[in-house]
Amino acid sequence: MNLIENSLNAILEKILVVILGIMVINVSWQVFSRYVLANPSSFTDELARYLMVWLGVIGTAYVSGKKLHVAIDILPDKLSPKRQVRLKKIVNLIIAFFATMIFVIGGSNLVYLSYILGQKSAALQIPLYVVYLCIPFSGLCIVFFKMCDFKKTS
Amino acid sequence: MEILSIGILLFSFLLLLTIGMPVAWSIIISSVFTLLVSVPFIPGLTTIAQRMATGIDSFALLAIPFFILSGELMNRGGIAQRLIAFAKALVGFLPGGLALINIISAMLMGSVAGSAMASASAMGSILGPEMEKEGYSKGFGVAVNITSATTGLVIPPSNILIVYSLASGGASIAALFLAGYIPGILTGMFLMIVAMIWAKKNKIPTRKRAPVSKVFSTFIDALPSLMLLVVVIGGIVSGVFTATEASAIAVIYTLILGFIYKEINSKNFPEILLKASSTTAIVMFLISASMSMSWVLSFENIPEMISSGIMSISDNKIVILLLINLTLLFIGIFMDMTPAVLIFTPIFLPVVTELGIDPIHFGIIMILNLCIGLCTPPVGSVLFVGVGVANTSIQKVLKPLVPLFIAMVISLTLVTYIPALSLWLPSLFNL
Repeated sequence: MNLIENSLNAILEKILVVILGIMVINVSWQVFSRYVLANPSSFTDELARYLMVWLGVIGTAYVSGKKLHVAIDILPDKLSPKRQVRLKKIVNLIIAFFATMIFVIGGSNLVYLSYILGQKSAALQIPLYVVYLCIPFSGLCIVFFKMCDFKKTS
Repeated sequence: MEILSIGILLFSFLLLLTIGMPVAWSIIISSVFTLLVSVPFIPGLTTIAQRMATGIDSFALLAIPFFILSGELMNRGGIAQRLIAFAKALVGFLPGGLALINIISAMLMGSVAGSAMASASAMGSILGPEMEKEGYSKGFGVAVNITSATTGLVIPPSNILIVYSLASGGASIAALFLAGYIPGILTGMFLMIVAMIWAKKNKIPTRKRAPVSKVFSTFIDALPSLMLLVVVIGGIVSGVFTATEASAIAVIYTLILGFIYKEINSKNFPEILLKASSTTAIVMFLISASMSMSWVLSFENIPEMISSGIMSISDNKIVILLLINLTLLFIGIFMDMTPAVLIFTPIFLPVVTELGIDPIHFGIIMILNLCIGLCTPPVGSVLFVGVGVANTSIQKVLKPLVPLFIAMVISLTLVTYIPALSLWLPSLFNL
């Protein structure tokens, strides 16, 4: 379990670094092609936007795993250690449950609908379901991380 | 029906927050509850998932990861140190020298970087220990650091102004950026006055005046960093670049400077990219969650209900602005700035535009107001960064924060009731 968690983290880290790297190159290319080559590229705008959706959605899984999302701990801190553990477990379960509902179920349905409708992006002609695939993927990662966390808190 | 939705939304949101649920998750889960009251299960969940993805699918928002990355590069790349050295030579000799240096550096940092967190952690780690050595209490040091870091949110470039532009349905980013200068500098000046009085009262020894040559040499040293301001803001205001393009240029520029200063190399660069992408992911999740909530609210017609409620209390501009400011101050205590802007702009903006208030002016009022909330517990993100860097406790910071808060409120009041403070600069550029 720990091994899988660590390697999943390492993979997510690589994905995020690569996405942000490509985003910088991509928008710099847009500026360069517009002002230096005077031949604005047609795909950079769309590519950058979809990369950011990926960065945001997949990053959410990474950040959930690392527990970097801001929360208010004033009340939990006042509880006894035993209750704090119980509360943390409940919070983890709620997140896992809603990640399943919104990201996995809602996201998969979104992927399915855009696949059926055959929607494609305007400039790059990428099928939109490819863009949305990151949502159920991220959801599964979140559920996995929260389950690991659930087992670890004691 | 609307009452039921508001009730479910507020109750579930507050309940989730109190049990220690992360803020972004609290927002999204309470939106799901609210939507499922009136929409069937699977379509409801699908809509929320879609709103989350499309909420961040925007070219203007792309500037945010880039400004976060360039801020990170500035911190590691020796730019923050050079700005501080320049500020030291400039104002170090005045009473409360180090506090003033902190404020000026934060304003300079704000004028080249887009986020307050970067500036709070840079200034806190570099100047914090020095301030303690010269007899400033830790609490006062942190209080000065965090309040001045928020001036960077009003002084362009500013990520939160980009978020506001999105929430307001397309207020000009160039105009918003220009409108932020005077209110940001004004707030910084008020903070400096408080710091000077505090230093006199606590008999902090004043430093020697730096010779003009020193001022000049540190200025030359900081000049490449300050040039970024000319490139980014000049480019945006003159219409040469979009904000997003300018932010990408800022990344390349700070990267090159970092390499020249030999602070950034191929080894630590991936690490910086990772730090920037996880910060971006935190912000983006907040944005996509808030965009879903904002959509749910408008789906349930809640903004109309609230605006007619406000209008029924009074139709006097001064009273309504006061009411909105008080509400925002209250919201700012419990909510981070990004979701507050995304959720409440669509609610308040129609009310104030009906009263003839310019959306640009209102944006500055809103950001300046929410800056105060960033420094208060329980959700003050900048407060947490400042306290964390200084390794102290929130309780020690609260008392010295009070006079600085008063300064910020005075500045907010002036900016609220004197539109020219925000609108004069943009009008010079016909924006």
